[in-house]
Amino acid sequence: MPMARTFAATLVGVRGYPVEVEADLSDGLPGLTFTGLPDTTVVEARDRVRAAMVNAGASWPNRRITLALLPADVRKAGSRFDLAVAVAILAADGAIPVSALAGVGWIGELGLDGRIRSVRGVLPAVMALARAGIERVVVPVANAAEAALVPGIDVRGVSELRGLIGWLRGESPAVARFVADPTSAAGHPDSGGGLDLNEVVGQATARRALEVCAAGSHHIFMSGSPGAGKTMLAQRLPGILPALDDEQALEVTAVHSVAGALADGGALVRTPPFQAPHHTASMAALVGGGSGLARAGAISLAHRGVLFLDEAPEFQPAALDALRQPIESGHVVLHRSGGAVVYPARFLLVLAANPCACGAPRDRDCVCPASARRRYQHRLSGPLRDRIDIRVDVEPVTRADLMGAVAPGESSAAVGERVTAARAAARERWRDYGWATNADALGRVIRSRRWRPDRWALDPVERALDHGLLSARGYDRVLRLAWTVADLAGHPVPDAGDVGEALFYRTGRAAVAA
Amino acid sequence: MSVDARPALVEEEVLIARAYLGRVAEPGSLAVAEMIEECGPVESARLIRADDVPDEVRSATEARRASSDGRADLEAGSRNGVRLLVPESPDWPHFAFAPLYRAQQLRLTAWTAGALAGRYGGEPTVPLGLWVAGRLSVAELGLRSVAVVGARAATAYGEHCAAEFGYGLAREDVTVVSGGAFGIDIAAHRGALAADGPTVLVSAGGLDRPYPAAHRTLFDHVRESGLLVSESPPGAAPHRQRFLSRNRIIAALSAGTVVVEAAPRSGALNTAAHCRLLGRPLMAVPGPITSAMSAGCHALLRQEMEPARLVTSVADVIEEVGRLGAGRDPVDGRASSEDADAGPAGSGLASAEARRRTYDALDPGARRVLDGLPARGWVSEDGLAIRSGIALPEVLRAIPVLRMSGLLESGPAGHRLVRPARSRPG
Repeated sequence: MPMARTFAATLVGVRGYPVEVEADLSDGLPGLTFTGLPDTTVVEARDRVRAAMVNAGASWPNRRITLALLPADVRKAGSRFDLAVAVAILAADGAIPVSALAGVGWIGELGLDGRIRSVRGVLPAVMALARAGIERVVVPVANAAEAALVPGIDVRGVSELRGLIGWLRGESPAVARFVADPTSAAGHPDSGGGLDLNEVVGQATARRALEVCAAGSHHIFMSGSPGAGKTMLAQRLPGILPALDDEQALEVTAVHSVAGALADGGALVRTPPFQAPHHTASMAALVGGGSGLARAGAISLAHRGVLFLDEAPEFQPAALDALRQPIESGHVVLHRSGGAVVYPARFLLVLAANPCACGAPRDRDCVCPASARRRYQHRLSGPLRDRIDIRVDVEPVTRADLMGAVAPGESSAAVGERVTAARAAARERWRDYGWATNADALGRVIRSRRWRPDRWALDPVERALDHGLLSARGYDRVLRLAWTVADLAGHPVPDAGDVGEALFYRTGRAAVAA
Repeated sequence: MSVDARPALVEEEVLIARAYLGRVAEPGSLAVAEMIEECGPVESARLIRADDVPDEVRSATEARRASSDGRADLEAGSRNGVRLLVPESPDWPHFAFAPLYRAQQLRLTAWTAGALAGRYGGEPTVPLGLWVAGRLSVAELGLRSVAVVGARAATAYGEHCAAEFGYGLAREDVTVVSGGAFGIDIAAHRGALAADGPTVLVSAGGLDRPYPAAHRTLFDHVRESGLLVSESPPGAAPHRQRFLSRNRIIAALSAGTVVVEAAPRSGALNTAAHCRLLGRPLMAVPGPITSAMSAGCHALLRQEMEPARLVTSVADVIEEVGRLGAGRDPVDGRASSEDADAGPAGSGLASAEARRRTYDALDPGARRVLDGLPARGWVSEDGLAIRSGIALPEVLRAIPVLRMSGLLESGPAGHRLVRPARSRPG
């Protein structure tokens, strides 16, 4: 009995899984039945594929068609299977040779006119097929560059069903293998979006704090009146972070692809992403979720980049609290009735807030009572504030600064060089432990005799503990910061000055124990 | 012994004689000590070996008179990195043992009664010699050191306190002296080692055989950065009398003794007794009144004759022991006891004297930053860097230091100088 089998791929979170697509034609009431836990969109393929095939000049078999998407017990969702379904049916019906299907994966959505349309998540899907040993994939033209990011795979980009059928029958010239444009495949390693740090006027302390933040991957909290420049500074943080390496770039591109956030042209994302969700964002928008199979949230789109939460105290407390787990583990697990989906979420957190709810333009204009200020600041939960290593106050720019009395600050490129060098030093140091940055280092190890700075260097921190300026947890954090400050200065071991500066970043101007 | 005419190096025959004497006589034998005082160590050794001695000396030395002449012990010592320190040595801590020497000279009748000799582990005599190993300078022992002692069967509370005290004292550059035993002793030593501070371990047995054996690693650590001390020669086993007599060494090598936890009949009370006999401050840490392990401490606090002083923190200990060296920063931000103008806790800088001392204690970088603060008003970190002309990183690192010294305060608007309080009339 006529039957055909070929391959497609499904996505669970950011990971792709190969799917076998089988089409079987038999006697019985004409119609198309899906098996394999298809969702509504997949079932709707029945009508899409039928119209597309007919409009592409093929005939729709008037038989009972059974379509299996295997493994049968994994949910399938989306329109990405359209192309594979159409091809399987055509082959089962004898309209195209069955041999054309062997060892090929098909991804694409079908328009009613036979157009083959792009879909999300092509990169992880193709990676999954490559892992399964598939050597050739046929994808929509717009997704070809993205598919070609997977090393060693033969990519064919197609734009409509009619041409595809002609190719497979041997009636038209074959679709050529897609060759990536070398410049676009390499990505753009320059700073994000053309924003440069030297555009920030004054703010020497904040710029320095940003540098330390980038060099050691320390989360940072900026406090300052509206218009002081917190947003400007945060936006320039990706520009001083090192470019993503190959593995990180694939990770980030996969996430963005799945979320449908990849720029057209399918280039690998090389610059650390920047996400700035508005404070009215729901928990699902921030962390991930939504009905059905969970979608990536802002924290996953900020993976390997920067998550900037401006007006942090205005966010829903529950949403902010939900950040704590991903900050610790670097990923977020979203549970659904159909199973759990894991999205990566290793980001640099930048929180910004006004010192007070009244939002006065200069701090001295704020006349609110101290209790009101404290209440506003405590809307950020203790545990979340505790994970912030650096606290810095951002003052509004003075007239002297604006009128150019102070020399302009360094460019992102100059700062970025120091950051990259510091990160390299840290990675080398923690190589045996498998940590990439100072922020990853375990407290137990940092405090151990081997890595502890000598007692003269530690003296400021010990005294801070005595004076109640620092908590025991803050002690560990200051040690990590001290290593970063030392790395930036090129010191092999933190000295008293490095530790002192680190202590300043952790305690800032606050009166309470850091 | 004459204190002023000391030879630069100790002659070998003196060392050999003293090694022999140390093996022959139990520590705390007044008769032997007096004989050495009269005839000198070399002659005393000869006489004892020849059995040409008064009765009271004979009874103290009969049993081991015929043992080797001390060379073997010295060799065993040098094999293990242990040397014999004798009163003739240039670095003998005369200051530490001065009260014992006095007591020995005066033959204080209470002790020669002998009845108490058993309780104190022998009469309070100056050691005939001390076997030492380690890095610390012996000569300064007793000047800036505190003994932290207590029960072997300590509770978690006691061990915590001992470790905290050890750590805190070491951070203040005070040497922690103890006996290396289970419980309080080892907790105190560990606390001091954790702060990379100096610690002295006085052992009851020979230094080549760490006792208890489980503390071998501790002994090694102390030897590396502190000092091991024993009255017993290498190879000697620790027995009960030696435990008691070594307690007098612990008490003598420190400027004061803290008993952290002790049961009513604990050996730590023996150390406490020696401390009082030496006329040095005795301190005790209180505990739950339901705890048997604190009952000894509570008894010390309650006794009528010179009760122990109650201490709850390292600051208390340092206050009790008095000026352990000049020019130190006040611990915990409180003014030292001699600062008569000190305001309430936290405003210890009320007096100009205290302010000046604190200012002098600052490192030059912090001082420059302080001098760069405007006389009045708040300034941001950037503003301060521009005003003072100091590089921003230096300004940043000075700010916490100045805050903790009480010379600068921080707030939402930045930082400002803390003005000295106006002196009150009258």
